[in-house]
Amino acid sequence: MLAYLVRRLAWGIVTVLGVLLFLFLLFFMLATPDDIARKAVGEKAPQAVLDQWKLNHGYDKPRIWNPEAPGDTMLAEHFRRMLTFDFGNSDADDTPIADRLLGGAGPSLAFTLPLFVSGLVLGISLSLFVAFFRDTYIDRVGTVIAVLAMSVSTLLYIIGVQFLLGKLLRWFPISGFDYSPEVMVRFLALPVIVGLVSGIGSDMRFYRTVFVEESSRDYVRTARAKGCGEGRIMGRHVLRNSLIPILTNVVVTIPFLFTGSLLLESFFGIPGLGSITVDAINANDFATLRVVVYIDSLLFVAGQIATDFSYTLADPRVRLG
Amino acid sequence: MKRRLGAVALAAALALSACSNDPYPDADASRAIFYNVFDDPPKTLDPQIAYSVVDHSVIGNVYDTLLQYHYLKRPYTLMPGLLEEIPRAEPQPDGRVAYRLRLRPDLRFQEDPCFELSSPGSRTRDVTASDVAFAFARIGDPAVGSPVLETLVKISGMREFGEKLVKRRTDDASFAALRIDRQYAEIGGIAGVQVASPSELVLVLDEPYPQIRFWLAMPFTTPVPWEAVAWYDGRDGHELFAEHPVGTGPFRLTQYEKRSRIVMERDPSWYGARHPGAPGTVYPTDGEPGDVAEGYLDPARVGKPLPLLERIEFRREKEDIPAFTKFLQGYYDLSGIPQESFDRMVHEGALSPEMSAQGMRLAKAVGADIYYIGFNMDDPVVGAPAGERGRKLRQAMSLVADTAEFQRLFTNGRGIPAQSPLPPGIFGYDPDYRNPYRKVDPARAAELLAEAGYPGGIDSKTGQPLRLTFDTPATDTRSLLTFQFWVDEWRRLGIDVQIAATSYNQFQDKVRRGAFQVFQFGWVADYPDPENFLFLLWSGMARTKNGGPNTANFEDPRYDALFDQMKARDDDPERLRLIDEMREILERDCPWIPLFHREGFALYQAWVAPPKPVGMAFAVDKYRQVDPALRAKLRAAWNRPIRWPAYALAAVTVAVVLPGIATWRRERA
Repeated sequence: MLAYLVRRLAWGIVTVLGVLLFLFLLFFMLATPDDIARKAVGEKAPQAVLDQWKLNHGYDKPRIWNPEAPGDTMLAEHFRRMLTFDFGNSDADDTPIADRLLGGAGPSLAFTLPLFVSGLVLGISLSLFVAFFRDTYIDRVGTVIAVLAMSVSTLLYIIGVQFLLGKLLRWFPISGFDYSPEVMVRFLALPVIVGLVSGIGSDMRFYRTVFVEESSRDYVRTARAKGCGEGRIMGRHVLRNSLIPILTNVVVTIPFLFTGSLLLESFFGIPGLGSITVDAINANDFATLRVVVYIDSLLFVAGQIATDFSYTLADPRVRLG
Repeated sequence: MKRRLGAVALAAALALSACSNDPYPDADASRAIFYNVFDDPPKTLDPQIAYSVVDHSVIGNVYDTLLQYHYLKRPYTLMPGLLEEIPRAEPQPDGRVAYRLRLRPDLRFQEDPCFELSSPGSRTRDVTASDVAFAFARIGDPAVGSPVLETLVKISGMREFGEKLVKRRTDDASFAALRIDRQYAEIGGIAGVQVASPSELVLVLDEPYPQIRFWLAMPFTTPVPWEAVAWYDGRDGHELFAEHPVGTGPFRLTQYEKRSRIVMERDPSWYGARHPGAPGTVYPTDGEPGDVAEGYLDPARVGKPLPLLERIEFRREKEDIPAFTKFLQGYYDLSGIPQESFDRMVHEGALSPEMSAQGMRLAKAVGADIYYIGFNMDDPVVGAPAGERGRKLRQAMSLVADTAEFQRLFTNGRGIPAQSPLPPGIFGYDPDYRNPYRKVDPARAAELLAEAGYPGGIDSKTGQPLRLTFDTPATDTRSLLTFQFWVDEWRRLGIDVQIAATSYNQFQDKVRRGAFQVFQFGWVADYPDPENFLFLLWSGMARTKNGGPNTANFEDPRYDALFDQMKARDDDPERLRLIDEMREILERDCPWIPLFHREGFALYQAWVAPPKPVGMAFAVDKYRQVDPALRAKLRAAWNRPIRWPAYALAAVTVAVVLPGIATWRRERA
């Protein structure tokens, strides 16, 4: 178990370092320090202001190799900062990045958490329901709706839901965010609905397959033969024994609840981490972008390891080693 | 089971009845709040650095400026702001010029905890001449990175101040650790910025520069308390000064969630509230002819103490369509018109009857700007070295550049076709002037091209086709499409023009090296003076040689001499004559093809008092007025939710699921 953990962590570290290196190389293949500085100081600013900005932000150093002082390069500084979690200030507006990320995690969680919980409950309930009625028209109607739901692009859902529920029926605000709970609920309705509708199809198809396969096993037949009720069979036996594939699907996504959604946050105007990421890309804000990518890669590795461990909790037969 | 189903249905019905598309708390409905939108968040709220429109939309309300523009008068007219009067130039015996800046008495900064630094227990203090001097010192401090430093080096000792500061900071670590105001004081401040008394500052310029008055009407020179800069340093949990303004203006920044919303509340301790009647503290009583008819001099506003709003609320909208939809629902007070919706909103330059029926109105404003195609005058083919050939080539290219067609295709017909660099509203603009090379005349263009030695686009000397590059500072599809339009016009004449699209910085690099031929650019005025446009063609500002904004590298000794005379004069007939002569030189030499001056169309709601359009970025929010009662009434009428589809959907779901359950139970039984 310990050996397994060490091995996974070691691979995780290599992955994260690789991500950091690729990020640096890709970013600076597309943008120069002048591009970053120009975005920050504006188009009218003279060259002297641009140069001063680069000096203040450390973009005046050689990028990869400095024969006089090998440690004094942008690449070395990049790794030093990330590995010591010294995130520094944003290139776009000089605000501390750690504060910005903490500020963005709240709005992201405000919509990812209800979306995650309601998506999980709805996905599992509907799948149990259609699996329960398998081979009836309810199952078939459910399958058709699920396939339709997963075939449509999220962008179309966003525009469609904004038009239908926001503009035509006037049930919810089209987009925006507010920290007062009274108004926040109104704002979160549409992104949660879009998240649910766009995710429910594939979840339903997946969970239904798992449940149907599980409910044809011998122990289910035995339980039924012993006179166990159908609701109890589905709710206790089938659901419990289907947990491993469900956990694979679910646990890995939990860490990303903090990072929000690039698409939904942008279109619905939620000032979360997804929106911060999009802003950082648009503003050539390398300092912020690298922190977001770094944290994402750390969370990814953490999610993978957590998923492995959750197997042992769900099924005592699983051993890590 | 039935009871549970009933409870779920009741909860759903309750939730549905609580549905509302109102993005604001109910309690705000009756308040005089002005709702507007922003796209990209402000870069900085530091008045000595901020240069973008969105930065100034906040700063302009939080900081009053030393001078200000009259809200209604055109051409734009300066009037006192924090100063008691507009300072006059006082020529000095050594050729320098001095200006006396006298502050109004009893000016105070907005309340803020930072004033603990100078006086424990205090939340504010008076504004003094030292605070204005501190602002100038910050402009001169290279570490601050003010974008206007190069322009204001005309202030005596400004450059030396910056050099001394940098040297001391490099040489002496203990100096660099001093509080910022002490650093400035220790090296003796700027020689040309002298504090004569707590309320008087003397500004000495090395040369006559009447345009300095316009810089006093911009936030760059507004007084800033040193306490705020020292306190808000981003350390020990303090915010950054760039995020926490401490000003003298009519509004205080109360919420700065710059990725979602910005809120400013009326400041009850503002100078205008304590001294009603001072210039700029009441709604103007006079304006231009026609202002009464347009509703700008409505008795409901005239003479009323400013600001007329309780609060200004900016919400962030990254996408045009949701923002515009919310405007149509009544949740924003002012809106631009997205290109997709333009034809539905505007018919033949007026608002569509459908929109007019809702009480909306249309405001048009011509920007103080110029968009143009320029030629690199150092280039051997299109520039001055080609002599008469180059001139005729440029004139020919100008004669086929069809601005009206460009506007029809790309700007919904908005914009004033430009004849010279000067836009309407700027002294020297002549609405009757027609540049002979700015009409569309392909036949004459072909003649000129032949006279230039390129008949049909073929160089008669070498027999080779004429090839030019159009160097562009953008690579996005929409921009490329607009550049392609001009290229197609020139190709019709036979000239093979290739687009060389690069990023803005790569373009700047090409321009620095002089490695470009034809380019397209724009300029938005910093201040309403012809000097701010005509200097774009003055040789002292040539980009490749001097790093200035004369990107065309145009050099003409006569033009330069006229410019020198024109820039130092007040607006009089002689200045007009000088401008006309400069215009003739530009017309003949054609270093630019002037394209258009932008025209902004804005819609505003029935409950908003008509706003006078401004083509420049100066703060007008204190003059705005809204009628919250009318707004609440119309919003309620426009936004009644339609609930029946929810009931229908629930009924369909029940109708599909219930028979299935019933069948299944029957089979099991």
